[in-house]
Amino acid sequence: MDELKELIFRLCEAPGTPGDEITAAKAAATELSKYTRAHMDRMGSVVAKFGKQGAKKHFLLDAHIDQIGLIVTNIDEHGFIRADRCGGVDRRVLPGSPVTIYGREVLSGIVCCTPPHLSDGKEDKILPVDKMAIDAGLSKEEADRLIRPGDRILLRSEPRSLLGTRITAAGLDDRVGVAALIRCVQLLHDKDLNCEVTVLCSSREEVGGQGAVTGAYAINPTHALIVDVSFAEQPGVPPEKCGKLGGGPMIGIAPPLNREMTEHLTETAKKCHIPYTLEVMGGSTGTNSDEIAMTRKGVQSQLISIPLRYMHTPVEVIDLEDVERTARLMAEYIKGVE
Amino acid sequence: MTGLKLLEHLCTARGISGFEDEVRDIIIKEIKPYATGIEITPLGSIIAFKKGENTPKTKLMLNAHMDEVGMIVTYITDEGLLKFSNVGGIDCRVLCGKPVTVGNGVAGVIGAKPIHLLEEEEKEKSVPVKDLYIDIGAEDRAQAEQYVMPGDAVTFHSIFDSSHGMVKSRALDDRAGCAVLIEMLKCNLKYDMYFVFAVQEETGLNGSRTAAFAVEPDAAIVLESTTAADVAGVDRENQVCNVGGGAVISFMDRHTIYDRGYYRMAFQAAKKAGVKCQAKRAVAGGNDAGAIHVSRGGVRTVAVSLPCRYLHSAVGMIAQEDYQSMQKLVFELAEMIAGGDPND
Repeated sequence: MDELKELIFRLCEAPGTPGDEITAAKAAATELSKYTRAHMDRMGSVVAKFGKQGAKKHFLLDAHIDQIGLIVTNIDEHGFIRADRCGGVDRRVLPGSPVTIYGREVLSGIVCCTPPHLSDGKEDKILPVDKMAIDAGLSKEEADRLIRPGDRILLRSEPRSLLGTRITAAGLDDRVGVAALIRCVQLLHDKDLNCEVTVLCSSREEVGGQGAVTGAYAINPTHALIVDVSFAEQPGVPPEKCGKLGGGPMIGIAPPLNREMTEHLTETAKKCHIPYTLEVMGGSTGTNSDEIAMTRKGVQSQLISIPLRYMHTPVEVIDLEDVERTARLMAEYIKGVE
Repeated sequence: MTGLKLLEHLCTARGISGFEDEVRDIIIKEIKPYATGIEITPLGSIIAFKKGENTPKTKLMLNAHMDEVGMIVTYITDEGLLKFSNVGGIDCRVLCGKPVTVGNGVAGVIGAKPIHLLEEEEKEKSVPVKDLYIDIGAEDRAQAEQYVMPGDAVTFHSIFDSSHGMVKSRALDDRAGCAVLIEMLKCNLKYDMYFVFAVQEETGLNGSRTAAFAVEPDAAIVLESTTAADVAGVDRENQVCNVGGGAVISFMDRHTIYDRGYYRMAFQAAKKAGVKCQAKRAVAGGNDAGAIHVSRGGVRTVAVSLPCRYLHSAVGMIAQEDYQSMQKLVFELAEMIAGGDPND
């Protein structure tokens, strides 16, 4: 588990907001290169191939490499930085938060928060992100020299171990998915397989899934397994929408997902004694599987989700066991392809 | 240890009100070779006496507090989550989504419901403290109880960055004041002086109240960190003070009307020391002066504060230049007060 944890920490420490995934993508490519050749496509996604090239069945394994963040829009007359959302940032966690600004150099900043003596009892109202400001402690001249519109900002949260096999970090959505793919490649790269496999660490999922759309088109697979995160049980969240932290991967059931693959996955899980739960969604899944399933003439797709608490905050929490089980479930499934 | 290294060492130590042990140990270690005498009060404050070249006309006590705001574990749920209460005045808007450290170094997070599952009106409101909890990764209460218990202290897990002439850190309030006093204790003094490192300022000025009784001074200088509201969206008239504007001198706050003679003397001291200083342009907040100035028969008191943005949150911000100005100003002012007549 320690090795997997270190891998996830390395992936989480590499920044990668939508459209600017390069550092995170390089980190993922470095890990994949230990087992097979990896390259970057023109949308900034990482692609790596293994298995039986030219086989009838071609599996795409997708997880998104980007994470939510902020994008600099402007620097005001006093040197405060104005920004907007780059993906679905939760504004409630922003006031008073330390952030990292990726300008000409890496800078720290703080999201401005009006002092309590000025809030006149309206303390619970939180401004929209584009009305907030970020304070890097720089003069106007220095800020203009070091930071430009379009630069990216991440909420800062150092990866840390919690009790047992649980960890916390910003961007576990979906670096744990990427870690599961890397771990799956590690388990399979020297095995004789009956299918071709292409790994895609796709860009821009948090702003619409453009990396998965173009990546899947270029790869042209017959089947796809998508790994993302989904809600784990926590207070205040309806249990019917949740998996359980440490309860194993959540196997998706939804109209765009292939039912035969669902069945195969659950059978494989049972056979290999991998605990799992089912995640039933009435319409689309809100993940890359919605786009990938509709690539070209259609791709039979299945979604596996890793349960995660506090999604889209800088303190997301997962259980490493669930990541390992997800990797093993995928590996066993692919080994069983005839 | 001196300068920013000393400040970092103090700011990264953990010590909410009533749990100042780690900070106290650092301070004692730093000042021991330089102080003439050190006493720990029954509540845990440090009183250090340092002999100067002369006996002062006015018995002076300098005070900074060791504690910081934070949280305390109140209850462990069946699911192994920790409910908590604030210790000191934390702004409830800054809690949600923060990493924290609990008890004896256990990592935890203050989680929030995923944005995807929020109702529209929930999205623009901060989460009330009663709905917040700390997750340390425990599977249930039994596992959590092996590592933490009600009454454990909780601090923010934050940064220390001293690039570009600023310092961004947790607990600058009031470790910066402690650092200034430590540096001063290491210098040769013109007059005898008492240095108090007080406990429990954030929960009621308890440490300084009792230490002032013990020292029985004629005069006191309180070193604090105060709200600088010179941030985006705040008019100049509401900014209270400015980061980069020098140390801040108070005329009045919620607890104290300051000694007018010393208030004016502080500006003279700044001039003499050749550093910037500014008046605190609001009657807001409060500090140990509230307890010290009414100690026994009354103590002439002045407060010199460091302007600090984002006070009482996970990370505050000061300017290094202000920190240095404050050191020089306090040094000068202390000599002026100690050498002056207590009734002038």
